[in-house]
Amino acid sequence: MKITEALRIVQATAADAPPFRVTLACGFTPLHLHTFLQAHLQLALPARAVHIKDGLYADLCGTLERGGDNDGVVVVVEWPDLDARLDYRNAGGWGRDSLASVVEQATLSLDRIKSALGRIPSGIPCALALPSIPIAPIFSAPGWQASEAELVLNSALFHFASELARDGRVRVVSRERLAQESPWETRFDVKSDLKAGLPYSIKHADQLASLLAKTLVPPAPKKGIISDLDDTMWKGIVGEVGPENVHWDLYGDAQMHGLYQKLLGSLSDNGTLVGVASKNDPAVVAKAFERSDMVLRPDQVFPIEASWNAKSGAVKQILEIWNINADSVIFVDDSPMELAEVAALHPGMECVLFPKEDPVAALQMLRRLRDLCGKDKVSSDDVLRLASIRQGAAFRKQAEGGSAPESFLQDSKAVITFDFSAAAEPRTLELVNKTNQFNLNGRRWAEADWHKDAASDRSLIVAVSYEDKFGPLGTIAVAKANFRGERLLVDTWVMSCRAFSRRIEHQTLRLLFETAGVDEIEFAFQATAKNGPTQEFFASLLGEEPKPEFRLRKSQFDEHCPALYHEVKELKKAEAHG
Amino acid sequence: MDDVKPKLIECFQIVFPDMQEKDIPTASQETVAEWDSVAAITLVNVIEEQFGIEMDLDDVADLDNFEKVRAYLEKRQQPA
Repeated sequence: MKITEALRIVQATAADAPPFRVTLACGFTPLHLHTFLQAHLQLALPARAVHIKDGLYADLCGTLERGGDNDGVVVVVEWPDLDARLDYRNAGGWGRDSLASVVEQATLSLDRIKSALGRIPSGIPCALALPSIPIAPIFSAPGWQASEAELVLNSALFHFASELARDGRVRVVSRERLAQESPWETRFDVKSDLKAGLPYSIKHADQLASLLAKTLVPPAPKKGIISDLDDTMWKGIVGEVGPENVHWDLYGDAQMHGLYQKLLGSLSDNGTLVGVASKNDPAVVAKAFERSDMVLRPDQVFPIEASWNAKSGAVKQILEIWNINADSVIFVDDSPMELAEVAALHPGMECVLFPKEDPVAALQMLRRLRDLCGKDKVSSDDVLRLASIRQGAAFRKQAEGGSAPESFLQDSKAVITFDFSAAAEPRTLELVNKTNQFNLNGRRWAEADWHKDAASDRSLIVAVSYEDKFGPLGTIAVAKANFRGERLLVDTWVMSCRAFSRRIEHQTLRLLFETAGVDEIEFAFQATAKNGPTQEFFASLLGEEPKPEFRLRKSQFDEHCPALYHEVKELKKAEAHG
Repeated sequence: MDDVKPKLIECFQIVFPDMQEKDIPTASQETVAEWDSVAAITLVNVIEEQFGIEMDLDDVADLDNFEKVRAYLEKRQQPA
């Protein structure tokens, strides 16, 4: 991005858009970093007006300690923040005696920064970048050799960053990725540093700002990957050479296929759905997946759609089973023709070529898949996701298999757990912000707004998890309400479509009436293009289409609520806090 | 050389979006409150991008009004 483009993006912001306030804490003149950060964040948050607040020169910790009303915090540490003698603009000595003191002071400074970061209110996202310009030549060893003091300094820096990352409140920009995007030799503008206190070249400021923006406001990860098999999952055409003669290892000159399987397995373990769409004989494919040396385990893939029909049809079936939209999914195939066929019928789907003859391009593709699907944190619900989809498929199959719905529900041994202490769990907000069909009003929440609202004494947030004899679905619903005098106003209510047809929504409503002890609940309902199931649910209770901001009496609910067979468990806030 | 002025006006509009176009040719650091040292660096960077040139920070210290910047750019565009 160029400065001109960044300024135009910033200036095009709608003045009446809700603000997204970010503090940029750094010890140097942020100038271009400020402009680029604002522009990149504005692109990531088109419905908000991004405002960046800078701190004082050479006072990174002070900026953090002064706090403020923020929706996000960006911290850019440079060497002078650790010790002024590491500042090219500083006259302090680099003598032998001062070296140990520099290292000692740097450790103290890192502790102070860590402590200041610890005071950022919980729920406010924070992105951190470690020093990215070359350190001044203060060490005794020649530049090609790492001296002990330099290694100790770097060790302290990495220890500091890893502790913050472990704590989970701060997300750290990858130095490796920054090195790829912004070559070392073009980062530092010594003239600009000496004249204006801005050490970054324009290009480096742009690249660093881009990564900081992505770290602060990560793009939504893709939810699933649908993969071809022949010459993609493995080398060879399984229908021609047989299941025993396809390869994914070094000996078969097919290691990139093995690495691809490893990546798919890892993504699957982290909650990305992995399915297969292949033009093949299903029995032959099943045989190949039975091979004990297959890197991707069969339990990490669902479903496997193998037939001789068009790939787009198989992809459509998989999307229906997963119940997600095409734009949340990546399709990988070695054939440009198949990719084009799928792309034509599933607009919005990311179609990725598996470059089977080019290991360099294949490695780039693996990195791209990780970027598209990567998550900051993996929740227990992520781990359950594929099992939950299988559970849903088994549930639907049995429900359609002749059992009467009532007896089927009665025999399903369903347990619903209402957790009143899960407001801060990442899964809770994630579910709120990605659910469309059962969604009270389609409202999306910024992380900071959600946590601020949740902290109110008048607020009640419940996360709902479900399991039955087919297995657990994990956390599948969230409701958020506020007490308004004697009334309860539900302003957010979502439920995953995986959990439909189990009367979980009825049990949730019953719980809200009982917990709040009210005879009437108001709903901040808004019809959206996608929340038809929500409208149908409320219509079944009201006897008419729901209107915006409608109220439901407990007597109405009791009259229309069907029989509920769930065992109900409740985890209260008080229990969670001991 | 004729296109220096409109292109430079565009640069000023990018850096000082609230400034009226008619006021730009007479703009100076004395008359434009937003034209501080930080804006001056941004203006230099935008001019560099728009004109495809590199400007030395030492050279631009005296460019404190529109006319001086225009004269500087016209001089830069003259064949050596």
